Amino acid sequence: MSTPDAGLGRRVQAAGARLAAAASRYWFLDRHAEFWLRELGSTWSVTASRARVVDVIDETSDTRTLVLAPGGRWPGHLAGQYVPIELEVDGVRLRRCYSISSGSARPGARRISITVRRVTGGRVSTALHQLRRGQVIGLGQTGGDFVLGAPASPIPTKLLLVAGGSGVTPIIAMIRDLAAGAPRDASAPHGRDVVVIHASRGTGDAIFSTELASLATRFRWLRLHARRSDDVATGGRLDATGLRAMVPDLADRETFVCGPPGLIDVVTQAAVDLGAGHRVRHERFVAPAPRLVAGDATGAAAPATVALLRTGTQVVAAGPGPLLAQLERAGQRPAHGCRIGICHSCRCRKVRGTVEDTLTGAVSSEPDQDIRLCVSIARSDLELAL
Amino acid sequence: MITQPSKSLSPAEADAFGRELDALRERVLADLGQRDVDHIRRIIRLVRYTETGGRVLLHLGVGPLTFVLGVTALGASKILENMEVGHNVMHGQYDWTADPALDSKTYEWDIVADPAHWRHSHNFEHHTFTNILGRDRDVGYTFLRVSKLQRWKPLHLLQPIGAAVLALLFQWGVALHDVHLDQTFTGRQSFAELRRRAAPVLRKAGWQLAKDYLVFPALAMANAPRVAFGNLLANGIRNVWTFAIIFCGHFPDGARVYRQAEVVDEGRGDWYLRQLNGSANISGGRALHVLSGHLSHQIEHHLFPDIPAARYPEIAPQVREICTRYGQAYNTGSFAAQLGSVAKLLVRNALPTPA
Repeated sequence: MSTPDAGLGRRVQAAGARLAAAASRYWFLDRHAEFWLRELGSTWSVTASRARVVDVIDETSDTRTLVLAPGGRWPGHLAGQYVPIELEVDGVRLRRCYSISSGSARPGARRISITVRRVTGGRVSTALHQLRRGQVIGLGQTGGDFVLGAPASPIPTKLLLVAGGSGVTPIIAMIRDLAAGAPRDASAPHGRDVVVIHASRGTGDAIFSTELASLATRFRWLRLHARRSDDVATGGRLDATGLRAMVPDLADRETFVCGPPGLIDVVTQAAVDLGAGHRVRHERFVAPAPRLVAGDATGAAAPATVALLRTGTQVVAAGPGPLLAQLERAGQRPAHGCRIGICHSCRCRKVRGTVEDTLTGAVSSEPDQDIRLCVSIARSDLELAL
Repeated sequence: MITQPSKSLSPAEADAFGRELDALRERVLADLGQRDVDHIRRIIRLVRYTETGGRVLLHLGVGPLTFVLGVTALGASKILENMEVGHNVMHGQYDWTADPALDSKTYEWDIVADPAHWRHSHNFEHHTFTNILGRDRDVGYTFLRVSKLQRWKPLHLLQPIGAAVLALLFQWGVALHDVHLDQTFTGRQSFAELRRRAAPVLRKAGWQLAKDYLVFPALAMANAPRVAFGNLLANGIRNVWTFAIIFCGHFPDGARVYRQAEVVDEGRGDWYLRQLNGSANISGGRALHVLSGHLSHQIEHHLFPDIPAARYPEIAPQVREICTRYGQAYNTGSFAAQLGSVAKLLVRNALPTPA
């Protein structure tokens, strides 16, 4: 094949794609497609990924599993990964990530499930608990590397899975995977050796406790330890000593821990002390809180580090005035207009961090939120899509 | 129309006025929720159905009845999309929803004007420098004399005809507004700069003309001339309606313009006062409000451009009450009265002002 032909073919293809994109935009094709698909109640979408709730299962008094049927082609996922869930709450689209509690699924799978604990004051978890069968929610792109093994390589034979509270959601997905792949004859000798520590506050809020107990009975290679921090008979809250007593060969196991920060610290530290820190993988549900910068007596904000994600740089926002003025003093040139909060020209996405609105005094830590730079001041370190 | 001019306020009074309006703004913003999103989605649904229905009637119908119905439906669809949806969404009134279909930075509207140009010249320039001679290019749209403070030129004698032509071709006037054509005529802008500014407009216009006068007629086959003509009429209806509503916004009797020297060191209260005294409302029923994109409440829109426009009729009584207490005129009148006063203004100012 001669090179000029291949180059021409590629150029034509690229030009064709650009033309199609322009036609879609200027002739409103995708807007119409989206609208009519939704009017017909379909979960198909050209621009977004959506799923229909097909079943609702109450696991505990405050935890519920939602079984979802993805509208588009499910890209596939590995047990332990999460999916962002998008829901409209009182007019606002909010997005939160939830671990997928069903096992690994191939591309094109028809069902996945998430298990959601209703958090007091949590807008998304409360709204998810109000969903009924047939309702539709938005899905983002699956992600996460909290998985048992890389896609092509085998799963380690000796495992320690530590689940605390709602942290059991990715862990149960992993165990369901292992159970589905285990030989039917539970008594046959098997190389796999999995210890599961299931920690919770009380028996009433131990999610999936029945399923875990029955799996432990069925499969010899699965050993289950239940720890209830309010029940001394089970050993109470898990600490390093208790952990080493339950799992003497901790250093030989690939360890996966998901749960509250305290639990993650206990397990990680115990492994580090035995020289096996590199064999521990963890998943946090609560991001470490950004360092809050208090204002001074005049109400001005203390300097904050602002990460500009698009350019990959970092600046320090300091001195008087809103973020717009501070960024300009730091040498940046963000788009702006009226500079008094009216025209929205300076609107940009705050990916992470806390800002205060100078017009209303409202303070917000909502991730992925659009802010107007001319009327916002930083109350913590920030990440901006600038 | 106003019955008596607004009182001149001291700095302290202006400040208090501003704070009362700020408080009203906060109350509304805190109340925004599902019903606001539901409203705009209902309007969008109406836009889609009337557009589809109108086009089906034009494409598949025969005879004058389906033609008239089709053009009416399509015209109504274009009006709603331009005013209640496009103008309001691009103001950022629905950015708080985080719905990508309602994002002010990415919304594309169904007229030849480029959204980025519009956001710059309207959201920023017009709403910040409202009615300031020499800064707000919406004052007469650079070629009409709407205030006797503007210098008279002989060409102004033709302005009633100019205004009528602008009305029929209003979407092109809007499209060319940020291109600064007038500055190229006066030599302040080079042709190179004009070409650069005009590029997005030419691109958008090209696709729009192809859609309305090539592709849709081609799809209609035997009905091609009917569809092309129907599209032309629907565009014309939308042009004339938007022109009429917009011209009633700042030109009726009683709306004032400002000299640059008057607005030095403007506080927030002064800014609100200029927005109020430079704007005029149209009184009417719900249909008028929705079809005008709530620019029938031009005063409330200029006080709070980024609050969802469907809220303006609800807050209008409170705005009016605050104005009364501060001795400010609240310019409102029927559509006929306001439009009539604009027509009189254009004719009066076509003639040189007697010394």
